[in-house]
Amino acid sequence: MRKSLLLVLVMMVAVSVFTACSGSQNTGKGTSDGGTGKEEKVALSLWHNFTGDDLRARTMREIVDKFKNDHPNIDLNIQAIPPDGYKARLKTVAAANEMPDVFLMWPGTMTKEFQGGDLLQPINELLDSKSEWKSGFLPGSFDGFTIDNQIYSAPMGLSPTSILYYNQAIFDKYQLQVPKTWDELIKAVESLKSNKVTPIALGNKAAWLAQSSIISSLGDRVTGSEWFLKAAAQDGAKFTDPEFVKALELLQQLQQAGAFQEGFNSIDNTQMEMMFAQGQAAMMIDGGWALTNLSANASKEVLDQMGATVLPSVPGGKGDPNTTSGVVGVGLGLSKKVEGKKKEAAHELILAMSGPDAQKRTLEANQLVSYKVELDESKVSSLFAKVYKLMNSVQRTPVYDAILTSAGADAVNNGLQELLMGGKPQDIAQKIQDAQAKSIQK
Amino acid sequence: MRTFTAKRAFVTFGLLPSIIIYTVFVIVPVFWSAYYGFFDWKGIGEARFMGFGNFTEALGDDIFWLSLKNNLIVVVASVFGQVPIALLLALLLRKGTWFQRFVRASVFMPMVLSSVVIGIIWSTIYHPQIGLLNGLLDMVGLGEWKKAWLSDPAIAMWMIAIPIIWNFIGPYLIMFLAALSSIPSEMDDAAAMDGASGTRKLISVTLPMIWDTIKVTIVLCISGSLKAFDLIYVMTNGGPAHATELLASYMYNSTFNVFRYGYGSAVSTLIIIISLILIAGSQLLMRRRNQT
Amino acid sequence: MTTATRRHRSVRVKQHGVPRWKQYLRNTVLGVYALLTLYPLFWMYMSAFKTNAEFYASPFSLPTSWNWDNFVRAWEVSGMGKAALNSLWVTFLALVLTLLLGALTAYILSRFTFRGKRLLTGMLLLGMLIPVHSTLVPLFIMMNKIGLLDTHAALVLPYTAFELPIAVFIVLAYLTNIPKEMEEAALVDGSGYTGIFTRIILPVTLPALSTVAILGFLRFWNDFAFALVFINDPNLKTLPLSLSVFATGYSTDFRLTMAALAMASLPTIIVYLMFQEQVMKGMAAGAVKG
Repeated sequence: MRKSLLLVLVMMVAVSVFTACSGSQNTGKGTSDGGTGKEEKVALSLWHNFTGDDLRARTMREIVDKFKNDHPNIDLNIQAIPPDGYKARLKTVAAANEMPDVFLMWPGTMTKEFQGGDLLQPINELLDSKSEWKSGFLPGSFDGFTIDNQIYSAPMGLSPTSILYYNQAIFDKYQLQVPKTWDELIKAVESLKSNKVTPIALGNKAAWLAQSSIISSLGDRVTGSEWFLKAAAQDGAKFTDPEFVKALELLQQLQQAGAFQEGFNSIDNTQMEMMFAQGQAAMMIDGGWALTNLSANASKEVLDQMGATVLPSVPGGKGDPNTTSGVVGVGLGLSKKVEGKKKEAAHELILAMSGPDAQKRTLEANQLVSYKVELDESKVSSLFAKVYKLMNSVQRTPVYDAILTSAGADAVNNGLQELLMGGKPQDIAQKIQDAQAKSIQK
Repeated sequence: MRTFTAKRAFVTFGLLPSIIIYTVFVIVPVFWSAYYGFFDWKGIGEARFMGFGNFTEALGDDIFWLSLKNNLIVVVASVFGQVPIALLLALLLRKGTWFQRFVRASVFMPMVLSSVVIGIIWSTIYHPQIGLLNGLLDMVGLGEWKKAWLSDPAIAMWMIAIPIIWNFIGPYLIMFLAALSSIPSEMDDAAAMDGASGTRKLISVTLPMIWDTIKVTIVLCISGSLKAFDLIYVMTNGGPAHATELLASYMYNSTFNVFRYGYGSAVSTLIIIISLILIAGSQLLMRRRNQT
Repeated sequence: MTTATRRHRSVRVKQHGVPRWKQYLRNTVLGVYALLTLYPLFWMYMSAFKTNAEFYASPFSLPTSWNWDNFVRAWEVSGMGKAALNSLWVTFLALVLTLLLGALTAYILSRFTFRGKRLLTGMLLLGMLIPVHSTLVPLFIMMNKIGLLDTHAALVLPYTAFELPIAVFIVLAYLTNIPKEMEEAALVDGSGYTGIFTRIILPVTLPALSTVAILGFLRFWNDFAFALVFINDPNLKTLPLSLSVFATGYSTDFRLTMAALAMASLPTIIVYLMFQEQVMKGMAAGAVKG
């Protein structure tokens, strides 16, 4: 009896000591943090996802580190969270109303959801106090972050999602022209196919690729932006309208012409970019993010052979063909709870990470920005310079998943996989319509 | 009388720590999550009570049923693939020669590797252009059998079931080995002296002795299959067009990609209910077989 | 020991009944299967040395040059050193708790009758069925309230709790085959139940406990979901978080991912081999005692 009691006691003690231990560790840290600093030390938390070894991530980490060193009065708690889990993590703390002070967030749907949950505060004040900085942004930069005239963030990058990359060497070899119209594209595809060259590399395993890179632009060519915005709002247009079905049919036509290599639905976009980088395909339709990967993995000779243009025009399309779908990149959001001294510190941090200097450094790290900066071409790859020029000469149209509800975008993603496996365009349009209509009522 | 109190005290205080930890960290969250299933909640802001709305919606959703069907494929493949193979291997590998120990360690090795590695290598094996499988078919002159193994919705689920079976044989093998070791050697010897050998000994002596372990492995198999997520997440992400969607990936997607927290919770409650039904069924079947 | 050798001899006698060619065939099949299963391990280490371009161009061949630099780079960028120490500590604590509580609970469930036994078993079963992702939000909210977030306890306690059912059921299944005579004799000799648990049950169930330990170790060591959500402090982060830093959502740096995975797998391989020996020893011990 005594022994059993003893055992239980030992275990209880073990458990409690161990929880108390980790607890006291925590408080110990808290006091030492308070002790080392001067009286007015401001604690600030920052969440970002620049964890990788690519140039941009390294640049951003340098900027953050420099900020930390330059501001001894700010106790900056930095959280670098792997991109794979970043959104899930942010969603979880949002559900518990425990947002960090400053955090990376996406324009469009995510900003709307956070704002709707009363988790954000606008940064108009900061932007207006630095009018030179604010006016440096390209037109439309703040759209995805603006709700009722309140601006909630400033974009740190720009992502054209739909660029037609091509390999000039392969085009030359088969005496082909880079296609400007849909018919030319189909002809080029047929010609390449008969020469046993994969016309277009596609990696649609993650399913958002065909949506973001192909249908966002192709759809816009056919329907025009206005129709899409109406359909997304379910206000006077529906995804079952003939325009949209036509866009789906065009994409299916491309697939049936043999444009894509076999098994594209089980290959991810990194593999697709590799295929293109290694000269195994004549073209690739991908976003601006591919530049990092291409620059890192294609030899300089191959890279110099690569060109970039927009998707070809379509017969009878309502949209402007000289456009590409694109979104501004992530920006820093500011938690509703931040105020006083902390808010000043947060403003400084936002300026350091998305201000003019940071924008310039981001651009030089081979990442497009939504900000007027002269590009020093010697600092970037030749392909990057080409895309930079292209972006300065075309207009930007909406990307589907930045405008649609999450459920609607999910339906488009899966619908396109089905379409490319031979599904009926009408049925798929119906599914997309149902998902968008249902999720928007709520 | 003294023993009675001692017994009682031991049982009470012995179970207490387990019960406390388990209740706080498993039971409460499970019911809490089930409770969310009755709400329309995006994970942010107001939650609106909607009764059984999420449940009826899930039961009326084609993708839910497709996921369930796919999941049953995995359950069947696991129960009739993993358990018999693991048992066979355990019987063959009971001795501790270096060769057997080597084989045993190898069989377990996939478990040691992260599912990311397993997912990537199997994706590469199945790769339509540079994959090992298509290359092999070419080599033996069966080029026309080549396929985009993971893109073809008719076969993709079965192709993924293979790595799932292969990956998880190890733990069952270990469990069977441990169970076999609890069979007193006298029983073996006695059976051997009776002239019982091979199959007869297996059925009359060995299997009944480890029957409880077999039951546990089947429970683990069913619950594990219904929670299967990692390999799917890496290899196909449920695609193409939901062809390899499983219940857990459907739940994860609803919760963290489509941001319908309430709906995702309802789905996870349904997963538990389905698991319970399957497990109860399997145990009932096995009890009957055990008695005859 | 003598019993063990005798047992081996009897086995060998029986083996003579099996034709030799059958044994050879069996061993060949087993050997080939083993090599096939080992291949991914080999593949992972080969891939860790390759460049990204090579990884795609020839995924199944040997690396053309041995890029040790991959490991250095992966180690530095992901901050694996500290993460590995954290993982060891968390895994160790969770393992000790799981084994102790699992064995104790299984012992009580198998040898005593008490009210609520069925309820307890049912609840344990329930815990095995829950997909962990659905508990993330409730657990986060709860831990936030009781101030457990950002401590290693925020990982150790849920790990233990979620592993408990499997631990209990494995040990329970094992205990049903263990004769009770020894415990009854000990009881007559005047040992208490605690003594029986520590001196008889724990040693006897060693093979089952080793099984639990192997499974638990792998689960704790590789967990991503809990580690992602419950830990903020970079100083407390565990290994799986530092392994996924090379995927940006748009592209994955396979070279560094593979190198990091290759390094992170080493401890699991070692621990597995260690515990596997324990299962073995337990088998020998079982033969003696039985």
